[in-house]
Amino acid sequence: MKDVITLLRPRILSMKNRVASGQRRGKMLVRLFYAMVGLIFWAGLFAIFYRVLRYFKNVEVFGDLLAFKLLAMSLITFFSLLIFSGLLTALSKFYLSRDLPLVHSLPVPSEKIFLARWLEASADSSWMVIAYSLPLFLSYGVVYKAGALFYITLLLHILPFCLIATTLSILLVLAFAPILPAGRMRSLSFVLGILVFLLLLISFRLMRPEQFANPESFATLLVYFKNMEMANDPYLPTTWFFDSIRSALSGATGKALFHTALSWSFCGSLVYLTAWIAGPLYLKGLSRAQTVYGKRPGFPVLRRLRWPSPLQWLPGPVRAFVLKEIKTFLRDQTQWPQIFLLAALIVLYLYNFSVLPLERAPFQIVYLQNLFSFLNMGLAAFVLTAVSARFVFPAISIEGGAFWIVKSAPLSAGTYLWIKFFIYFIPLLLLSELLIIATNILLRVTPFMMTLSVITMLFLAPGVVSLALCLGTLYPDFSSENPAQSVTSLGGLIYMTLCAGFIALVIALEAGPVYTIFMGGMRGASLSMSQWIWLAGSFSAGMILCFMSFVIPMRIAVRSLGEKLDG
Amino acid sequence: MIKVIELKNLSKLYGSLRAVHELNLTVAEGEIFGFIGPNGAGKTTTIRMMGGVILPTQGEIYIDGISMAANPVEAKKRIGFIPDRPFLYEKLTGMEFLKFTADLFHVEKALFEKNAEVILRMFSLLDWADELIESYSHGMKQRLIIGAAILHEPRVIIVDEPMVGLDPAGIKLVKDLFRRLARGGTTLFLSTHSLEVAEDLCRRIGIIHRGSLIATGNLSELRQLARVQESDLEAVFLKLTEEDVPS
Repeated sequence: MKDVITLLRPRILSMKNRVASGQRRGKMLVRLFYAMVGLIFWAGLFAIFYRVLRYFKNVEVFGDLLAFKLLAMSLITFFSLLIFSGLLTALSKFYLSRDLPLVHSLPVPSEKIFLARWLEASADSSWMVIAYSLPLFLSYGVVYKAGALFYITLLLHILPFCLIATTLSILLVLAFAPILPAGRMRSLSFVLGILVFLLLLISFRLMRPEQFANPESFATLLVYFKNMEMANDPYLPTTWFFDSIRSALSGATGKALFHTALSWSFCGSLVYLTAWIAGPLYLKGLSRAQTVYGKRPGFPVLRRLRWPSPLQWLPGPVRAFVLKEIKTFLRDQTQWPQIFLLAALIVLYLYNFSVLPLERAPFQIVYLQNLFSFLNMGLAAFVLTAVSARFVFPAISIEGGAFWIVKSAPLSAGTYLWIKFFIYFIPLLLLSELLIIATNILLRVTPFMMTLSVITMLFLAPGVVSLALCLGTLYPDFSSENPAQSVTSLGGLIYMTLCAGFIALVIALEAGPVYTIFMGGMRGASLSMSQWIWLAGSFSAGMILCFMSFVIPMRIAVRSLGEKLDG
Repeated sequence: MIKVIELKNLSKLYGSLRAVHELNLTVAEGEIFGFIGPNGAGKTTTIRMMGGVILPTQGEIYIDGISMAANPVEAKKRIGFIPDRPFLYEKLTGMEFLKFTADLFHVEKALFEKNAEVILRMFSLLDWADELIESYSHGMKQRLIIGAAILHEPRVIIVDEPMVGLDPAGIKLVKDLFRRLARGGTTLFLSTHSLEVAEDLCRRIGIIHRGSLIATGNLSELRQLARVQESDLEAVFLKLTEEDVPS
């Protein structure tokens, strides 16, 4: 055990040293902010579960049925999340970590290394699921006025529950690592995981859950649940957890402890089995992971063909970076799920507009359609901000260790930044315009609103992209393994805040004049001279703001990148 | 003598740390100049300032008569820069990286097509030209960087630790290449820890210690300076850079 603790010590000491040395004000602020966001999210989850459970409890006959069905479904969701997160963590910890060659060169038996990594992987993959499952469990405790038995059972059971899921993931990884290279397996599981999540998300949305708010639909739902078999599979760890919680809530101590013991005994056996299997399999998989790189499978003859570049018309440096960015993005499989995610969110975004029950609204449809269209400008701009945060903000950091190439290239900081700007600006502008036009068509808005939306987006997009590039240049992270995560830094936070302010201000400047024009049009009244002046002033102010948000950040970014040469 | 590299009072401060102090140096056309010094002496800092990768705190750098401060783009066009660590765009293939470099340096299509294959063949990378760089070994990446640096036929090649990660065949190949380039008029400035490489390749050697250039000359001039006779570069180097032992 001493060796296992020694193996874990670098991780613990690194964390300790990071806390001790990373107390810069900026970092502290970011951590504080994310802690606050996390806490608010946690409290929000608790409030939602509490309200739902209270509501269920008041439903006669079916209340408890619904509450426990929710619990069973949530446990299955948590278990699936744990398995998924366990897969990715196990692949990293056991096969891809940079310290593995060092660790395996030490005079420590490989089973001890395995045990240390198992502990680390279990902790890393479970802590977040535990943290965010607590609001659910606590709300059951509060609503059902549970006693100490419930909380003790929860505490005793959540640990084997997580360990079982992680160990199952490790077992799966152990089995496949000697066949599939760990790097490819990680990409594959990530892509598959996200795809499954998206499918679930889309199918859930297409079910139109808002219809359950309709009393007739809700009655059907109740009948559905009543007819549903409540018995869960007795061989599933989720069933043991479910049964022990239910027993603990009803005060059945014996049953609650029996199911907890069942989980612990299974967990113990599983860990023993995994450690036993790891003996012959782990090193085999690890050797494969360390020596996977070689020539790519496929058709080398095709790769050797030199196709004429469709971007030949671009100036050399521009073409160089455009091609580099596109190829790097397309060849990095870890980036693909984000594209799927983006595509799915856009589909849902458009779908939400297509099912808006405008005809049932108590206002005039025209008024509502145009109001939504106006709000939609803000929403689309926020979508643009989020996409820019993911793709434009890390555009400088993404150069990573290869930033020396940019620095030593015969290219000024300004040219380099403008190239980056246009690489991202053009597709993002197209995306946002497409989004706004499609939603406006679905809303059947007036030509005035359509024109205004398109023009507003045309003016907002350069500012949003320019701000992302500026903050990404001011707060680069060249050492990160995943530059996309740099958006969670202080720079990312400032970017999101500034962008939100910028969009809100432009929309606010347009809101008054648009309302006046719109209402005037509806009443058939013409505008007075003072109204025209106000209109011109307001729109001009919006345009100036957009122009400044575009030019000033780019200037700051160019100056900052020039200074980065000094780093 | 045509001065291709000129460093005038070049200094670099990192906070209060004086990494390079008032360096004055000229390197002539077709010369291979070796830059040696102990760890932390300021070699890499000097090399990076010359490549335009970092800015000097004070002083001037002229490449082929062009000021790096006043016209960095034109100065860099004349340089082939080879860093000590081969960080590259891992998701590009070797051939794509060469094309990327060619585009950045405005290399004509015909010249690229002529040079790229020759370079890849010379560095035994032709079979790997269409494989992703992430699948290359350290030595292959280093060879690719050297290849990319000579692709645009620069006037000056600045190299930081040229032989790191190369096998004996690779080292011989690079040495022969550098000699051939120098004969053709290319100026080479190389920083190295390997005294054997410096002795073997360089006509003149500069020794940097604690940020200052303490000696410059060919081996016999350095011997005189160190007051050691018939010694190799190692003995000269150790003598010149030896620390004062406190009594």
